[in-house]
Amino acid sequence: MAINTSSVRVAWITPLGELLAPPRITAGLLRLLVQTVLVVALWRGLYADTEVKAGLTREQAVSYAVLAVLASRIRNLDRSASRDEVIQHLHFGTIVYWFLRPIPPQRYYALRALGDQAYGLIWLLSGYALCLATGVVELPASPEGAAVAALSLLLGQWVLYYVMLLIDLLCFWTLRNQAALLILVFAQNLLSGVYAPLWYFPDWFITMSGFLPFQATLAVPLSLYVGRIPLHDALPQLAVQAGWVVLLAVLTRLLWHRAARRVVSQGG
Amino acid sequence: MSRVFHTTVRRPGLRGALRSLVSPERVAKTAVEDVSFTVGAGQLLALLGPNGAGKSTTIKMLTGILTPTAGEARVAGVVPYRERERNARNIGAVFGQRTQLWWDLPVRESFAILRDIYGIGEPEHRARLEEFDELLDLSSFWDTRVRHLSLGQRVRCDLAGSLLHDPPVVFLDEPTIGMDVVVKEQVRGFLRHQVERRGRTVLLTTHDMTEVARLAERVVLINHGRIVLDGSLDEIRRRFGGTWQVRATLTDSEACLDPLPGIALLRREGAQLVFGPESGLQGGERNTPTAHEALRRIIERFEVSDIALEESDLEDVMRAAYLRADATVGSLASTEPALRSG
Repeated sequence: MAINTSSVRVAWITPLGELLAPPRITAGLLRLLVQTVLVVALWRGLYADTEVKAGLTREQAVSYAVLAVLASRIRNLDRSASRDEVIQHLHFGTIVYWFLRPIPPQRYYALRALGDQAYGLIWLLSGYALCLATGVVELPASPEGAAVAALSLLLGQWVLYYVMLLIDLLCFWTLRNQAALLILVFAQNLLSGVYAPLWYFPDWFITMSGFLPFQATLAVPLSLYVGRIPLHDALPQLAVQAGWVVLLAVLTRLLWHRAARRVVSQGG
Repeated sequence: MSRVFHTTVRRPGLRGALRSLVSPERVAKTAVEDVSFTVGAGQLLALLGPNGAGKSTTIKMLTGILTPTAGEARVAGVVPYRERERNARNIGAVFGQRTQLWWDLPVRESFAILRDIYGIGEPEHRARLEEFDELLDLSSFWDTRVRHLSLGQRVRCDLAGSLLHDPPVVFLDEPTIGMDVVVKEQVRGFLRHQVERRGRTVLLTTHDMTEVARLAERVVLINHGRIVLDGSLDEIRRRFGGTWQVRATLTDSEACLDPLPGIALLRREGAQLVFGPESGLQGGERNTPTAHEALRRIIERFEVSDIALEESDLEDVMRAAYLRADATVGSLASTEPALRSG
């Protein structure tokens, strides 16, 4: 994907909209702050009587939980206020313009997602720096561990991008995907380990989630960060993440092709 | 070109719903059938028809959004649904109240995004914005976020946005729907300018007959997915019963009233004589003079001190035209088509 002015301009759309709406930034900041404080209190409380649970120490668990809250901010922008969700474009019929510009809709979508995720990453890094400074989050055990966790986070975001795209593409067939979206958000939060690290769940649950792409989005990079997955076990995990990227890329490419053939806008 | 949509019919009741789930009944609906026309470069064509006639489907095929089930379309030499990106540089489009601008951004930011997407140079972009501002008075609100614009302001911005890349062909699907009369007139002036001064080819759909009367050189009437008529407004009036009355006051009230071909004296109202199409001929039939022909003949024949022309409303004519879907297809071939469907 060649980087040029139009790519940067398209990627910049959501961040610019956010920056022009200070109340949204304030609300986002408050939400993140409250969530972080509550999560820290919760996990410290859970570890009041014990040192280690599910292979995680108190510090590891708190770091994991806080980073999960921060990382979920990366792709958690609410574009509905901007009438800019795919489902809204289909509902209002404005999706037709995606097919009338000299930029393929799949490239436009990818650039917008890239902009959203880069903007979310700034939030993550700012929050991370603050949490490090206040001692809420621990540093990774080694620079190698940090590098592998960062790579894994990148792959995880890539997987997440395709999962979100898959759901958005569903709209071309269903026109309404609210139900699918709600299920996805719940599944994503539960199975990726945002609510709680997957290590606390029963074995059958961990085995089942191994067959789904969600744990590749957050649970793997965060487990690598806190050291719950040792560095020598990182390679197979990264390979699985890469596998999901390839699989979902092929699937969504196929769906984009079919979606373009059935652009339906309501009314007229 | 033709376009058939396949939909699933839901059967009534719980049993029907379950049956539909197990064995869905698929039906084919022909939205457009054998629609064929060409539009010359620099021409404004109004594509008219009642709701559900197939106008929007036709436009969607011409813009490359939909692929025809049969036949082919060419827009500025490009098959739009095969070469979407190349076609995108040749066309601009506005679909009614659906905005292509970004809801949360100021209009000028939206224009800048479009500038970069289309790769327009900054001096060219600035010059074009100046031109559009002069015609559509955009600068008073182009720093406002799109979500805060009135409908009229937004559609004016959308029109400007669709022409920023200087496309030779423009598709406008009911662009003035819901606008007040002042803004409508401004938009009409803008469109006239684009056709007459910039030489753009415009394909317009509208239900506003004033707009048709003011703008359209040529009209394609479509109903039940088929072309009913392709011709000028005069031709539509002639064919679908456009009628008229001429009220004349003669200088010499005792003048001999010899009959005029195709024109009948309907009645006297004091000093005024009321003429209309000859009895037995409906306004619009082949031998009936048009309103302007009748006016000319009456003035040539009699010495008149006062004369007035009353034509039937274009909306009445169109209503009659929509109801007569089985009328034969007229055609006006044009050379060097900018746009061809068939």
